[in-house]
Amino acid sequence: MRWFRFAALLLVFAILQKGVLARWDHKPDLLLIILVFSAIYLNTSEAIISSFTIGFAADLVGSPIPMGPHMISFGIFGTLLAYLHRVIAIRRMPYQALAIFVIGLLSGVLTHVLAFLIKSEPLSRNIYAAVLVTSLYSGFVGPFLFPPAAWWMGVKIDRFRRR
Amino acid sequence: MLFTWFMLTGLILLFAPQELTGKFQLAFVHIFRWPLSMGGSVALTARTQQLAGGASQPGERQYRNYIANLQQTLDEQRRKFEKLYGLDNTFVWEGADFALADVITATTDGSRNELTIACRKTDGLTKGQYVLGDESVIGIVSEVFPQIAKADVKLVTDSTSWIPVEVAGLKNILKGNGDYTARIEWLKNAVKVGEDVFALKKAGLLDAPIIVGTVSRCERNTQNASLWDVTVEPACDIQKLEDVAVIIIRPPK
Repeated sequence: MRWFRFAALLLVFAILQKGVLARWDHKPDLLLIILVFSAIYLNTSEAIISSFTIGFAADLVGSPIPMGPHMISFGIFGTLLAYLHRVIAIRRMPYQALAIFVIGLLSGVLTHVLAFLIKSEPLSRNIYAAVLVTSLYSGFVGPFLFPPAAWWMGVKIDRFRRR
Repeated sequence: MLFTWFMLTGLILLFAPQELTGKFQLAFVHIFRWPLSMGGSVALTARTQQLAGGASQPGERQYRNYIANLQQTLDEQRRKFEKLYGLDNTFVWEGADFALADVITATTDGSRNELTIACRKTDGLTKGQYVLGDESVIGIVSEVFPQIAKADVKLVTDSTSWIPVEVAGLKNILKGNGDYTARIEWLKNAVKVGEDVFALKKAGLLDAPIIVGTVSRCERNTQNASLWDVTVEPACDIQKLEDVAVIIIRPPK
């Protein structure tokens, strides 16, 4: 695992998410995509560390949602996906898209529920629609970002292996 | 074990006071302000090209807002003269200062609409002050970080925002929808589409009413058919804003 390269990729995705994509109404969540990527292609302990780190980055760029909910939800679902991948291989693009969509939905809902319960953040009427749309966009875009991300990280994505 | 330690860290962040953790978020924006604002400009260029067809000109909109505000200021001044001529009267906007600020990032996630701004001066900047964009009220300062000359602005379209407004002589509360529109509920009378909505004057924050937006839809309330719900579109394209002004009202000497 090349942690420096991972940190650089995470930083670029975080800046893109907060800069270019922030002004768009409907957009993919780049950090969610890299979360699923790391859960699928890294070994379990690396996946756990990277899931929580990506969650922390999502919290940093997640203002006005307070810090904490992203780290917990990304950490939980990233870890779950990493363990699931030991049993069920997710290597075809449709399955990867489905994994991104499902993890996006679950982590999105958990993030907003945690923010609502702990920080008394209001749940607006269209929040679940927004989570659904973001997960859909991420699911469509995500699998196409996996090969360049794998190249950057030096991960071989063609080789079939379960960890 | 690894999982437990990270979960603990996450929980500490979650339960830590927001005033403290908010500084991490703003520090990130402060450190990476250059790539973030550059990314924002890219998004703005793309949006401008996309909207070029039917959208109204920003300059035209700005003049329209300016004229509407001027009319309200004049009315307010007249009222003051009539009411308090014999007393120690002050002029509308006397002592008001407009702190200019650049927009670093504009965030929308379906429910929350927020701007992070870089203020050129932070003297007198506090929470709750009104923020203008294209001569119209776009939001309220929600956090100020004077050490790094940054502030967060909760937009009027944010789902947690509410400000007192007046539309067609009816006073009410404007609440954000979270999707770059806002709403006014439980109005006694129907109002015309295109009617201007003004933020009401507030002592120490707003000297005269200022335009917030225009009515884009007026329909009967679903629970009480004798009342009306109004959808309001902001008077400026908030997503395309590059600079704003914070109204700082200084107490008269």
